[in-house]
Amino acid sequence: MRNTAALKMLFHDRASALGSIAGVVAIVFLVGQQLAIFFGLLSFTSSLADNSAADIWILSKKSDNLNSSGTLPMAYRDRAAGLRGIQWVEPLVLSGALYKRRDGNTQAVQVVGVRYPRLAGGPNRFFLAGPEALGDGEGITVDRLDLPALGRPSIGDVVELNGRRVRIKAVTDGLQGFAGSQVFTGLENARAVTGMPVDRCTDLLVKAVPGVPIEGLIDLLKRVLPRTEVFSTQNLSRSTRLYILRNTGIGVSFGFTTLIGAAVGFIIIALTMYTNVLNKSRDYAMLRALGARKRDVFVIVFLQSLYVAAIGILSGFFLLAAFLSGTRGSSLPTGMPVGAAATIAAGTLLLCLAGSVLAMRRAAKAEPAGAFR
Amino acid sequence: MPQAHNRSPVIRLEGVARDFFDGRQIRRVLRPVTLDFQAGEFTIVSGPSGSGKTTLLTIMALILDPSEGRLFVNGRDVTALSDDAKATIRLRHYGFVFQNAALIPALSVLENVLIAHSVQGAAATTMVQERSKTILERLGMGGFLHMKADKLSAGQKQRVAIGRALINEPGLILCDEPTASLDVDSSTTVLGILKELSRENRAVVLVTHDPRVFPYADRLVAIEDGTVVTDTGTSPKAEGRI
Repeated sequence: MRNTAALKMLFHDRASALGSIAGVVAIVFLVGQQLAIFFGLLSFTSSLADNSAADIWILSKKSDNLNSSGTLPMAYRDRAAGLRGIQWVEPLVLSGALYKRRDGNTQAVQVVGVRYPRLAGGPNRFFLAGPEALGDGEGITVDRLDLPALGRPSIGDVVELNGRRVRIKAVTDGLQGFAGSQVFTGLENARAVTGMPVDRCTDLLVKAVPGVPIEGLIDLLKRVLPRTEVFSTQNLSRSTRLYILRNTGIGVSFGFTTLIGAAVGFIIIALTMYTNVLNKSRDYAMLRALGARKRDVFVIVFLQSLYVAAIGILSGFFLLAAFLSGTRGSSLPTGMPVGAAATIAAGTLLLCLAGSVLAMRRAAKAEPAGAFR
Repeated sequence: MPQAHNRSPVIRLEGVARDFFDGRQIRRVLRPVTLDFQAGEFTIVSGPSGSGKTTLLTIMALILDPSEGRLFVNGRDVTALSDDAKATIRLRHYGFVFQNAALIPALSVLENVLIAHSVQGAAATTMVQERSKTILERLGMGGFLHMKADKLSAGQKQRVAIGRALINEPGLILCDEPTASLDVDSSTTVLGILKELSRENRAVVLVTHDPRVFPYADRLVAIEDGTVVTDTGTSPKAEGRI
């Protein structure tokens, strides 16, 4: 009965109830969409590693992220490939370049050179044509989402990378990099475009024989390959994300807007819940006179804030799902790990309860004598 | 029939007085008073505005602490109990009828009665719901069980308030000017009901300044300037007024 009374008392003052729910929705949606974009951008920073199908990455000494590796001798590839427990080792060339559009303008891109046909570290989703495009000596891919920035080229168009003629042979599907457009090409073509010697690469990607412990292989590779950094793919991905977080404003920027979203929602909840209790102060005084203890009145407002939280969180996540659905496949990167969604829900519930504390205290302070006035 | 004189009082005030500090000096608004209220007795406490009758009522309701004196409910000294313990005594032993009914507008008629049972978290069992319905039917509100309280007339609201006061089967019903906002017909109905309830082995104490209510009283207590100036007691004479 107390639950029913709490719910009905809450919605009897529809304006303030809807205001409180709007506060919760604001937290879930504003914080959620900021975090979704944040996670989307962050996933770009490490997408090469995450989609590489490799277990281990070898980078040059003192490298701590995907974009910082110098060059490695190709001899390291053979040395690593000969070790027990390793299934394959593939070289990768990763470097910046200037893409010249047909209209003469240039665009900074990231060239990723991969070896055909395994394409370790290469594209895994194609919008037009397919992986065979990278078997062509001068073939490159561009991404569907980068087409406007690259002057809307078509398959078969000849363009220039660092002044060298290349031909667009495929269009990838949503494979963007954090630093700009990702252009995939064959290993040799990447070396030619970026001026890298034929006996060098920037990274070596290692696949372990199934069942072989990765940590043991990493230790072995560190001993066998001097002046290198050896990471598990997971660690390289994490390290790259951390590097971006620490060395760009992305963390602070999104953290600030997330805090603003949470603060706006919190204030709305606090004000509207307080107003709701103020409007019903006579009801609470009457309940106290009838025999409700302070904690009983507290419980009624607590239940009300739980209802507000439940309805608001569900509505907020519904909107957030619509946002994520709407941005899927667009140039706006979004992503929402389940853990982050659960954290948003739990955090919002806490903020809602915290925002209701003033209202709870006000309700509990209702004087039973007020019923006699 | 009232049998008050042969029983221990439902509530006893022993030398109860109350002071208020008005910011500059302490003012005594209720001078020491000793009163017993018996089951089966319909008592009307009257007096002009500011006479101290509402102070007396809120002290009897265990809402306001007396500055001196002691209070006994069913023979138990409740003067020094904690707020929570007093709240529980109010819940179990008291029924309240307030001046403007004080129903919760968001709730239905039935829910307004049930909330008085469940306000400390007790479940509104089927038995309690049936009892609520029976009470409301007796009060002529059986056809309005699921109507929102704010849709009722003033007289109907007050009848629901009486139903709410009865749900926990209290031994004492305290009424604060329950007819103040009612028309003559509704007043007559409400007073008739309260009078009838007092015959069911419970004490009914009604505070009012309206002399038209006096004829219903078994006992009349008049207060002026914080002092009880008249207490007719429950006497054949008092009963004969009805």
